[in-house]
Amino acid sequence: MSLPPLALLSDPSARIMAPHAVDFVIIVIYFAMVLAIGFYLKKYTTTGEDFFLAGREMTAWVAGLSFVSANLGTLELMGWAGSAYQYGILAAHWYWIGAIPAMVFLGIVMMPFYYISKTHSVPGYLQLRFGEPTSALSAVSFAFMTILMSGVNMFSMALVMKVMLGWNLNVSIWVSSITVGLYVTLGGLFSAIFNEVVQFFLIWFGAMLIPILGLIEAGGWSGMVARIQHNFPGQDFTHLWGPMAHFTSNPMGIHWTGIVFGLGMTISMGYWTTDFLVVQRVLSAQDLRAAKLAPIIGSFFKMAVPFIVILPGLLGLAVLPFKLVPESQLQPGMHSYNEVLPLMLARYCGPGLLGLGITALLAGFMSGMAGNVSAFSTVWTYDLYRPFLRKSAPDAHYVAMGRWCTMIGLLISIGAAYVVMQFASIMDYVQALFSFFIAPLFGTVVLGMMFKRITGVGAFGGLLAGTVSSIVMFVLVKTNPSALAVVALSSHAKALAENMYRALWSWLICVTVTLVVSFLTKPKSDQRYEGLVYGATAVPSEGNVALLHRPVFWAGVALALFLVLQWIFW
Amino acid sequence: MDPGWEGALQEKLQSSLDRGGKGPTKRTAVDVVDPRPHKHHMLPVWFFIGLILLIYGVIICGTGIYELSHPPVTVLANLHAPIWWGAIMVAAGASQVNKYRPGKIRP
Repeated sequence: MSLPPLALLSDPSARIMAPHAVDFVIIVIYFAMVLAIGFYLKKYTTTGEDFFLAGREMTAWVAGLSFVSANLGTLELMGWAGSAYQYGILAAHWYWIGAIPAMVFLGIVMMPFYYISKTHSVPGYLQLRFGEPTSALSAVSFAFMTILMSGVNMFSMALVMKVMLGWNLNVSIWVSSITVGLYVTLGGLFSAIFNEVVQFFLIWFGAMLIPILGLIEAGGWSGMVARIQHNFPGQDFTHLWGPMAHFTSNPMGIHWTGIVFGLGMTISMGYWTTDFLVVQRVLSAQDLRAAKLAPIIGSFFKMAVPFIVILPGLLGLAVLPFKLVPESQLQPGMHSYNEVLPLMLARYCGPGLLGLGITALLAGFMSGMAGNVSAFSTVWTYDLYRPFLRKSAPDAHYVAMGRWCTMIGLLISIGAAYVVMQFASIMDYVQALFSFFIAPLFGTVVLGMMFKRITGVGAFGGLLAGTVSSIVMFVLVKTNPSALAVVALSSHAKALAENMYRALWSWLICVTVTLVVSFLTKPKSDQRYEGLVYGATAVPSEGNVALLHRPVFWAGVALALFLVLQWIFW
Repeated sequence: MDPGWEGALQEKLQSSLDRGGKGPTKRTAVDVVDPRPHKHHMLPVWFFIGLILLIYGVIICGTGIYELSHPPVTVLANLHAPIWWGAIMVAAGASQVNKYRPGKIRP
């Protein structure tokens, strides 16, 4: 769910920021701190559970912040700030309906099964529930795509640093990769999670001054709205749902059904509940209550992220003295939508604060990279290497394998980054590829959790059919643009809208095929259901505890707050 | 699952229910799914967060004071954001470092 700032490549001579010595001191301290954390945690990382699941001893707060931070990549921050400049507050849907219901659903409905089954990964759950074929399909696709995405992100980071600061591409790629590789190899998930939480705070402290100072300059929210209306007469940038009654009445070219069913019910559910990169953080929780609370705590912070991402985009519409343009219209001296966040940072932040802002961007990149490699090493070691290459080995062997494949995974990512550097158009395809697997996987996992009748053959067939159909729809629209009217229900649909509907159809196909094949086949006689399926699992009750300690109470508060936000910005 | 898991579950569940949800640990019945005690006694992540916020706060606040005589060419430079933002970071960082510093006995 990120937008690459590819356009930044177009004018590499136009540096947005000019850091001073103090800014470099701040950046060097950051690198020293993340490495120090890695070295400090090495002595605590001895077993497989330590390395791959952070010893399962994280509190709800740490797991929850890490859960959100793993997703708070810099491409997300810059891309969605750019989208806010382009589409207005509509971009906030990706933080609210595109995240909050799914996070609450993960905490309350799905987490008990992930946690009680003692699985180490999402493919690990599929192995317990459906057997090896479904697990292997999911593990191979996840490992492949994760490492490729990591390469794409690495290249994008180097590109951003080159354009913003004039840094050399190779230096950016190697320095950041070696740093991440070192601290993850040393401390495993312990180290990744600790650094993600540190990075979370740096991102907030580094970015929060932009909306604060921006609102002061614009004269508050009402002043900002007035300035936007003055700068862009006749366009509605500040309403969430109002402009979505028709495909043509909003700049995104999307109908509210696409947002509710495609984004809210399919893509976000798939991403937040089955993408192992984020789920792994919650699996590190110290007990079931912490595991249930972690995504719910994360949802409150996720709801607040538009303050540092969407609001700067809107403020850019109000206060920037020039207009930003789409990537396709960039000329020398111009800036693209995706540059709005660094432009706003440079507008308000002098020496020191600028270094903090740059550190926040670097922290976002590195937390995403660490998330990718730690998830990759777990899935490779536990879901591919152990079942298919070496079934029984001492725990220390798997820890060593995890450490090695962290570094090897990073080297493959670096290779992918250089391939992308040669063929930049690959980036768009890689990002689309990742979305192919997410929506069908959610269909497979949720059906498996809810119904005993779903068989391994049905799950495998459904996952394969959903994934293949998603790829077919993507290729169809690429080769024959008139197919857009069928796939996305409107020929006016933009790429984001097309993604919504493609996810929805692939999910429906996955669910339908899974159900039909399951009813035509018989479950295995020795199939285990306890701890894996609703109705066959005794989920411990929350007992006689105070309301304020119940995850379900906070889930209700999060959903109520989410609804209030929709009403305020309707 | 661990051998003896069910026994430990029952024991802790009963203990939790006996306390009626009250008591010094404030643990709930769902906590007992994995009753294994913590193995590690490492410094909490909050210490590291506090440390880096404290260091950054001092640097940024110091830069802000320097900028009183050498104002930067940024919008709203007259608000002296580095001074108060740096001070907020120092306060937040120092409180966490003090609370979680090595050697301090925690419950």
